[in-house]
Parts: sequence; C-alpha cells; structure tokens
Amino acid sequence: MTTKRFLSLEWKQFRRSSFFEKGLAIKILMLLGALYFASLAILAGTGVFFIFKKAIPDQDPFTLINNYLIYWVLGDLTLRYFMQQLPVMNIKPMLLLPIKRQEVIRFLLLKTSFSFFNILPLLFFIPLAVVLMVKAYNPVMVLIWFAGILSISFSINFLNFILNKNNTVFFVVIALLSSFIGLHYFDVFDITPYTGVFFNSFYKLGYTVLVPVALVFLLFKMNYKLLRTNFYVDGAVQPKKQKFRNYNLEFLNRFGTLATFLKNDVKMITRNARPKQVLLMSFLFLFYGLIFFTGDTYKDMPVFLAFASVFVTGGFLITFGQLVPSWDSEYYKLMMSQNISYKQYLESKWLLMAIGCAVSFVLSTPYIYFGWDIYAMIAAGASFNIGLNSFITLYGGALNRVPIELNQKAKAFSNTQGFNPTQLLISLPKILGPMLIFYVPYKLISFDAGIIALALSGLLGLIFKSYFLKIIESLYQKNKYKTISAFSEKK
Amino acid sequence: METIIQVQNLSKTYKTDKVLDIEALDIPKGQSFGLVGNNGAGKTTFFSLLLDLIKPTTGQIINKGFVVSESEDWKPFTSSFIDESFLIGYLTAEEYFYFIGDLRDTSKAEVDELLAEFEDFFHGEILNQKKYLRDLSKGNQKKAGIVAALIGNPEVVILDEPFANLDPTTQIRLKKIIRELSSQKNVTVLVSSHDLMHVTEVCERIVVLDKGELVKDIYTGEATLKELELYFER
Repeated sequence: MTTKRFLSLEWKQFRRSSFFEKGLAIKILMLLGALYFASLAILAGTGVFFIFKKAIPDQDPFTLINNYLIYWVLGDLTLRYFMQQLPVMNIKPMLLLPIKRQEVIRFLLLKTSFSFFNILPLLFFIPLAVVLMVKAYNPVMVLIWFAGILSISFSINFLNFILNKNNTVFFVVIALLSSFIGLHYFDVFDITPYTGVFFNSFYKLGYTVLVPVALVFLLFKMNYKLLRTNFYVDGAVQPKKQKFRNYNLEFLNRFGTLATFLKNDVKMITRNARPKQVLLMSFLFLFYGLIFFTGDTYKDMPVFLAFASVFVTGGFLITFGQLVPSWDSEYYKLMMSQNISYKQYLESKWLLMAIGCAVSFVLSTPYIYFGWDIYAMIAAGASFNIGLNSFITLYGGALNRVPIELNQKAKAFSNTQGFNPTQLLISLPKILGPMLIFYVPYKLISFDAGIIALALSGLLGLIFKSYFLKIIESLYQKNKYKTISAFSEKK
Repeated sequence: METIIQVQNLSKTYKTDKVLDIEALDIPKGQSFGLVGNNGAGKTTFFSLLLDLIKPTTGQIINKGFVVSESEDWKPFTSSFIDESFLIGYLTAEEYFYFIGDLRDTSKAEVDELLAEFEDFFHGEILNQKKYLRDLSKGNQKKAGIVAALIGNPEVVILDEPFANLDPTTQIRLKKIIRELSSQKNVTVLVSSHDLMHVTEVCERIVVLDKGELVKDIYTGEATLKELELYFER
C-alpha cells in the first residue's frame, strides 16, 4: 500500500519535473539524445564480441571482454561519483508522517536501482549475453555470468552512496584507473588478465557468482544502516555544511574595479558543488586532444586538429561561460537592484574566462610531445578562444535563462541546462568557426597560414572587445525582466 | 516636505489578473512608510516595481526624479532587502558586507564603522562566525540582509517583512533602528508587514492595500492600531 503511494509520488515528481514543462522541440531533442545513448550502448553490446574477435583472432573474445571489465568497474564508479547522488532530500516531508522509517529507506534505496546508470549497463550487457548464446556459449552459464555482472553493477550503485561524501576514495579510484591504463598502454604491466580470472570464473565455475551477489546484499544492508541511523533532519537528510575556507585574494585587486566581481567569482567557484564540477570537467577537456593527436586517422585532416585544439584550451571558457549569468541566478535580484554596470559585470566574467583559458594553455604544454605544429595550433586555438569564442559563449549564455542551484551537483539527464535550440545554434560558430578560419588559408596557402589566420582571428576579436561587450550588454538589458522572473522560479 | 517617491497610474496585470492598481501615491523624503495588507494584497509586487524587478503594465514610479524603469540612476541611493535572494549564500557575513560596500563605493573601514553600530543588533551571531550565509538560521540571514541594506548611506531603504522570523529582542532593536533612520538621518524607509502592532509603532504613515488597491492611507496616531484592527477583522 505504502509502496504504491510512494510510486504515485514518484510518478508525479517525474511528470511535473521541469523536463516536461519544456517546449516540444526540446523534448524531442532530449528524447533523441537518450535514444542515441541507448542505441549506442546496444550497438556496443552487440558489436564488442566481434570487435575483439577481429582484433585478436587467436584468443577467446569472451575471456578478453572479461579481462577488460575491471576498467568498466572503475570507470563506472568514477562517472557515478560525478553524476549520481542519493536522493535523500525528498524524504524530509515523510519524517512527520505515520510511515515506518524502514519502508521509506527501503523504497529510497530500491528506487536508485532504476537510475539511468543502472539501465545503461543493462543495455550493453543484455545484447552481449544474447550474442554469447548465439555463438554457442553455454546458455545457463552465460545467464549466471550475467547475474554476476548485474550484481556488480548494483554493488557499484550502492558503493557509490557510501563513498559519495569521501573525496579520498574517489581520488584513489581515479589514480588506480589512470595508472592501470597508463601501465597497460606503455606495456609495463597489464592488470587485466588477473582481474579477468575473477570475471571469467562466473562463466567457468559458476559458484563464484555468489561473491558479487553477497556483496550487493552487504552493501544494501550497509546503506540501509547508514541511512537508518542518520534518518533525522540533522542527519543524512540535511545537506552537509561546508567548512569555511578563506583565501587571500588581494592580488586580484590589480584588476581595479573588476576585482570586486573577480574575487566573488573565485569564491563562488571554490565554495559550491556545481561550479567545482564544471572545473573538473574543464580539466578533462585538456585531454580531449589526445583522441585526435594520437590516432593516424586525423593526420591528413588538419581541420579536425584545429577543432581539437580549440577544445583543449577552451574547456573552462565554454563550460563556465555558457552559464553566465546563470551562476548568479540565486541572488540575481540583488545584482539587479544594486549599483552594477553590466559592462563591468561582463568584463569581469570575460577576464575570468580568459584567465581560465590561459591556465589551460600553460597546462597543455606537454602536447609539445606531439610536435611543435600541434602546439602552435593549440596556441592559435587559445587565441581564438580568448578573442572570439569567449564573446560567442557569453552571448549564448545571455539567452540561457535556467536557474542554477549552486551547491547541488548536476544530475545526469535531469539537467537540461544549456540545452535549447538557440543554444545549439550558438554552438555552431564555436565548432565550425575555428575549422573554417583554419581551413580556407590552409587550402589556399599552407598549414602555417591556417594557424596564423586562427591566431589573428583571436587578436581581431580582442580589438573589437568593447563592441562585442556592448552587443551582449544590450541583450542583457532587453531581457532583464524575463531573466529575473526565470531565475526566481524554484525548480 | 519634498516628495521623493511618486507613483503615477501604476498597475500590474498578469494575463487577466490585476494584482496592483495604484492611481497616485506620493511619499515625502524622510518619511517612515508602512505597507500592510493580507497575503496577495500586492505589497511585494509594489516593492518589486519600485526596484524595477518587474515591468509595470501601466504607469510609472519616479524615485527622486528618475523613472525607475527607464533610468538606473536611482540605484546609488536606493537599497533594499526583499528576501533571501538578496543574499549571496556562499559568502560569510563580512565578505557579503564588503562586497556590497564595494558596489556602493564604501570603503572597508566605513563598512566596519557601520557594522560597529549594529553590534547589539547582531547579538554576536553574525560577525566572525566562520560560516557561510546559507548556513545561518533564517533570522540571522535576515539580520545580515537588513544591515547590508544600510551600507553606503542610502536615501531610500526598502524592507519587505523585516520583522518576520526575528526574535523579540531583535524586533525591538530593529524598530529603534528604523525610527532613527527616518528621524535623524532623513532616510525614507519603506516597510511592509503583517504585524499591525510593529508598523504602527514604527511608521509615521500607513497604507493599506487590498487586492492591489489602496484602501486606506493613515497618518499614524493613537487610534491607528484600533482602526487597522477593526478594518482587518471584517
């Protein structure tokens, strides 16, 4: 009975979430996005067996897949740490109602099983299991193996909630993951055959499946206990208070009138969960170039290299900039009734983005390893980012009127921020712009000419800086009331 | 006395719903002005219009000669605390005060001087707390917001429901502060409240709104509280 009521509440929450309030076009786009990921998983699940068979014909593909599963476990854990949160906040109103606590907790934990993160592995492993059966693997044992994998997926789910507040564990996982991959890549040490024994044994022996199954139950019980003892308004239900940290930001005073905003933004980024997430994301962008620079596929297509170079240094600039002014949505009324000039406000944001880009550029020095050509291109990309991309991004941000809860991590797929048709249109010049600026002189003159053109485009943008800022400013002014009312809507 | 705020033919309509309709209202400089009314009477709408946070459907408000929806020149001498969205949650109280000070061209030393005056108002719960504003209690958040609205010698101060959520001691202190602002510093203070007693004690003039319309405009005297109670008893 109670479960049924809980389910009806969940349904209402889902039905009435901001997702369904959006326009039809966005709904379709979101649906397409979800379908895209789903079909990608299904396709990968179906294809992975054949890919391994083709790549290494003399070994059993199934064994190889099992070997690599350790990366899935660690990777999944990392992803969930970023994206998945135990949805405890909703239970506060339940505390006062005559419902047994254990029922609420049990429901809460079971509910998490239906999250996107548990469904995606299913979409991958079910087709894989089918392929295995078709390929004449013992169907019963395949099912047992599948049960083992499923248990591991759920174990990760529950483990994540226990670890969620613990940064150390997270960094250990990241360190393990990157060192395994690194050692594997440089042929020093390969962990996969050792862990593969474990995953393989689900199929070969069968009874070892009891280990992950027991693990799920254990972790479920642990979560249950943890929640049961903390099921009070001052316990798990309450968001964690952060320790106060202070830094000396006086050095920013050299930026004069902009310093006020800059100092505030630095505090905003370092003291809130959401912008911290963005900071980490933009760090990951630094590695984006590896995909393009290591493979041979793109060697003859420098246009894609230009594209990649822009993203190497542009991570922070893009991820932070597209949510200006949403970052200040929580206190936007204050900003609008205070004595603030839009120009200063925008200029300080721009400066922050430029600094972010410059820092990324310094951090990208190791790319020299791939040759000075590549590095010159990254430098040109950085110039484009600071001089042009920054203004395009700020312009797009001004059209993006979604309030942000600063201290709440973004959830996967419930987060539609920056996902609207105008936003997509705005991102076109970001992507195609640098490619075009590079491609034309490259085709007509030479590779170097392309790089110079890209670098010059940034410089040109800098010259027109106040003109660009003025355009964005007038957009802010035009949309003032709309923005205020959108930001004061509670989610 | 010279008029500082003039309301002319002001109305606000959402779709077909008229939430505010004030034909004319003049508020002289240095007056402590109280706004009362039941939920949905239009108090917050009026303040939001005054701060140009929403766009009037018709008419305008003039603040010291500037039409608020057309110019931004009223901002340097006008300050306000409407709700928590006027606080920056991730700052400590001091950082917040200095930030506002920066925006209002007030030096750190001047802010410190002002804060010293409010030491008993803060009751030792605001400054040096090593806590972010978002982690303070509702009452303490309000205290911080109200004091921040007094930084930079504003000539017009707008406070929405300043007494709600405050403890009795702080309410009494706040009343003193508001009275002094208007009588000694010639600051125009606009206050809204649900508490008839508090407004009658603090305000020289009380305006009653009902469903967006101005129904009473009283200069506070001995009989005012009775009159208001009678009106709201209906």
